[in-house]
Amino acid sequence: MSLFIRNYKPGSVYNAQIIWRYHSNKVDMAKKEEEEEFRVLDILKTRTRLQKKVARRTDIQPDRSEKMKTDQNWGNVWPGPRSFHPSSVPLPMRQGYVPKGQAPPGKKANAELMKVPNFLHLTPPVIKMQCEAIKKFCTPWPELLNNEEAIEKNYPVEIITSDYCHASPTIRNPLSRIATLRIKLSDLKLDKHARDKFLRLVGDKYNESTDLVTITADRCPIRKQNLDYVNYLLTACYYESWNVEDWEKDKTLEDMEYYDFDQNPSKANLVSWFMRVSKKGDLSDEEIKVFDINNIPHGPEYKKAVSDLFNNSESDQTLQDYDAAVRKLLGLPEKKVAQ
Amino acid sequence: MNNIRIALREVIPNRLRTTSRNQWPNLTQTRFYARATSFPDYFQNPIFRKEDQAKLIENNELSKLAAIPVKPPAACETSSVYYDPLVNKVINHVMKMGNKQLARSLVEKAFENIKRKQIERYHLASTPEEKAKILLNPKDVLHRAVENCKPLLQLLPIKRGGITYQVPGPITEKRSLFLAVKWLLDASNDKERTVHFPEQFAWELLDAANNTGKVVKRKQDLHRQCEANRAYAHYRWQ
Amino acid sequence: MFTRNLRVFFRRYSQTCTFRTSELSPAQHSENQIGMFYTIDKNLCKQLFGHGGLPKSYMKQTKTFTETTLMVRLPALDIMNCIKNTDFDKPVVRYVLYGEKGSGKSLTMAHLLHYAHEQEFLIVHVPWVSEWLRRVPRHKEMANSPTREGFVDLPLDAAAWLLHFKTQNQTLLKNPDLKISKEYTWSKRESTAEGAPLLELVELGIARVKYACDVIDALVYEIKLLSNNKRCKTFVAIDGFNTFFYPLTRLRTPTKRTVAPEEVSLTTSFLTLTKNDWTNGVVVVTADQLAVPEDHQESYLPKYLLYKKGFEHLDPFVPIEVGRYSEREFLTCASYYRDRLWLRGPSELEDELKFTSACNPYKFMELCAPL
Repeated sequence: MSLFIRNYKPGSVYNAQIIWRYHSNKVDMAKKEEEEEFRVLDILKTRTRLQKKVARRTDIQPDRSEKMKTDQNWGNVWPGPRSFHPSSVPLPMRQGYVPKGQAPPGKKANAELMKVPNFLHLTPPVIKMQCEAIKKFCTPWPELLNNEEAIEKNYPVEIITSDYCHASPTIRNPLSRIATLRIKLSDLKLDKHARDKFLRLVGDKYNESTDLVTITADRCPIRKQNLDYVNYLLTACYYESWNVEDWEKDKTLEDMEYYDFDQNPSKANLVSWFMRVSKKGDLSDEEIKVFDINNIPHGPEYKKAVSDLFNNSESDQTLQDYDAAVRKLLGLPEKKVAQ
Repeated sequence: MNNIRIALREVIPNRLRTTSRNQWPNLTQTRFYARATSFPDYFQNPIFRKEDQAKLIENNELSKLAAIPVKPPAACETSSVYYDPLVNKVINHVMKMGNKQLARSLVEKAFENIKRKQIERYHLASTPEEKAKILLNPKDVLHRAVENCKPLLQLLPIKRGGITYQVPGPITEKRSLFLAVKWLLDASNDKERTVHFPEQFAWELLDAANNTGKVVKRKQDLHRQCEANRAYAHYRWQ
Repeated sequence: MFTRNLRVFFRRYSQTCTFRTSELSPAQHSENQIGMFYTIDKNLCKQLFGHGGLPKSYMKQTKTFTETTLMVRLPALDIMNCIKNTDFDKPVVRYVLYGEKGSGKSLTMAHLLHYAHEQEFLIVHVPWVSEWLRRVPRHKEMANSPTREGFVDLPLDAAAWLLHFKTQNQTLLKNPDLKISKEYTWSKRESTAEGAPLLELVELGIARVKYACDVIDALVYEIKLLSNNKRCKTFVAIDGFNTFFYPLTRLRTPTKRTVAPEEVSLTTSFLTLTKNDWTNGVVVVTADQLAVPEDHQESYLPKYLLYKKGFEHLDPFVPIEVGRYSEREFLTCASYYRDRLWLRGPSELEDELKFTSACNPYKFMELCAPL
């Protein structure tokens, strides 16, 4: 055995067998002549295997795809979304990953082809035909609405919905129910109070940089309901913002959404300072409220600087403006700048 | 892991390794990595001092190093003007639990104390000769203090005939530096609780720089002991 | 080559440029002296800043340098220029110094105090408001105010401040014009008569610590009145003014109730002093990040630090920024440090220090320390 292993080479066993048989045959022949009856033991049992003949049924039709005419109406063959079926598609398709150098498997019994969505029902002629069919329900686009501005002006409310097109057995996608309403705040007719209240009601749905109010609804199962809801929200917010409740009179300075110089103590400071400078008596609160700042030299500049400081947040620039305004107001020399 | 290392070693051309080994380490300020780093050992230590780099350029050795991978320098290894390897060493000795920031601030505060004291002394000194004697730079003070604290000999315990003898012997440069810094820190940690470390350390450094104080005495004690045990010296080789 | 020449030139410049000015009177300082150091007389320094006024780290520095020097900087000059051009019949002008941590607000204040002292202003200087409201040593003397309901007194702090006030205005208080307008009765036996000198009031406050807070209150009232009547000019300087407006102090009453700054009697006194309902005076306050806890240190700008309340209290004020060192100031400062042996070593050091300290004066000083 060890000898065998040492000299082993692939294929050598086969050769050895042949030699062995060759030798044994020779012995056979010699023995045949002497006594015919002796059967040789065929150790290796190399029987020639009979090739089975595959029986083919004769009554099977050729594949349907092979019988299709080239000028057939494809829309009739594949009318709606459906997963891939090899016999209905007369195309020599191949799909799948194989080692390099081999061809991808064909279309029959090919899961790769079946699992991807296809758009075989949406060929250009079919779409064209369907468009033709629904054309009779459409009205022509109004001629005057020929540019974006005109559209925006006449139809300020913009509704955004999405339709989904895919090859699943159902044509409904849950995402298509979502409805978004967009409107520019400046298109709504609101006064100062109403605008403030509207913004507080709307909250973060208002984008300051684009001036757009965006209301999105996805709570109802159907698009129609969501659309109704969105419209309802806009209407409700709009009319609610025009209402003035009793408790709104309690709004204090801290609740203000912006800094109003005329209502803040800064104005009182300024006015009382001015009265002291001009050697007049002190004013009551009411008188201070109605006092016109334009009477004070450099008063309006100062007002602007203070309002900027509060409204545009404190920064080096606003502070500098404030500094300059105060110096002008107080009659001090201008700020020294390093050479 | 070992296999990989062997494999990597085979990858490097022999020529590169020999050149780098022969010419590099003695020439430049190198980084000592105490622990195993994640870098393979054919990575060279970084050269981060501008003087060293200038030297390399002068000797035209820069091009040889261009293709060799280099370890990154540590955060404390900078080309700053006030980088000092000895100061870095002392900071590392002061450091506990890897809190280098604290260690550095302590050492720097000690330097500040030294500086204030020395400047005051300088202003108090009346003659220019006295003024010239005063070391104003705290780093100079540190260098001199460490120099003064370095022992020249050490005692090694050697067992002969069941008795352990303290045998005097020579000391390596590295060990004597280690002992000097260690003694300085031992001395400054041996203090009242109310005294802060930077203050005490500053005093110790100033004392040691003047060749007085606990640490210098400790060094001299060691030397005296070595002198006394001179008779055992032959045990070192017998 | 060109850059090297430039660098050499700048180094020469840095070595030769003078960093000291012989002009010792702040009133004479002008733009030409910007960035230069001037020395304050030792006795004067003791008088003005003996009880606080200079930052602790700076005091240490003066001890090491054996002199007290201040750099002439633009913000101080700016305020002096404004004071020179102020019409003193108008209500007082308030100046707010602001700037990053360590940029030299307190030292600018010190410079201005020196100026005020020279111009014979009556100085009302609070060295550091947080010392009263935010620093709580183990034994902080606190008492409920006997005269005003719901207020808290800090008698020891008040007495210490009165002493500070007295030393700062030693010479001025001897002026017989400074008299009290009405009689104050402290208790059955103690009272200060009408027409008594102001000094008597101050000394009473120092001697009878119990009444120190009320004395300060009276003092503030009298000072305002005297200034209005042109008996004296007053210079009010309050460092760390924004502490008055931080919603809480670290003080606690014996019943463990936290105290708001409005409930401290000292606060009310000094807030009335910073209003602009009196004339013939100057008010300089600082808004400092260090005066409030860390949760309110996001910005160093005055409106943020003073809150809306403080802003409206001071409005209209002149904001004055104390910035980092300019190129020239940095160079003179570096050469001053070199002169004082504080900075040593090669001159490349300065470039490095300029980058690492970002020209922040305090950082620069700190970074120089271990070199």
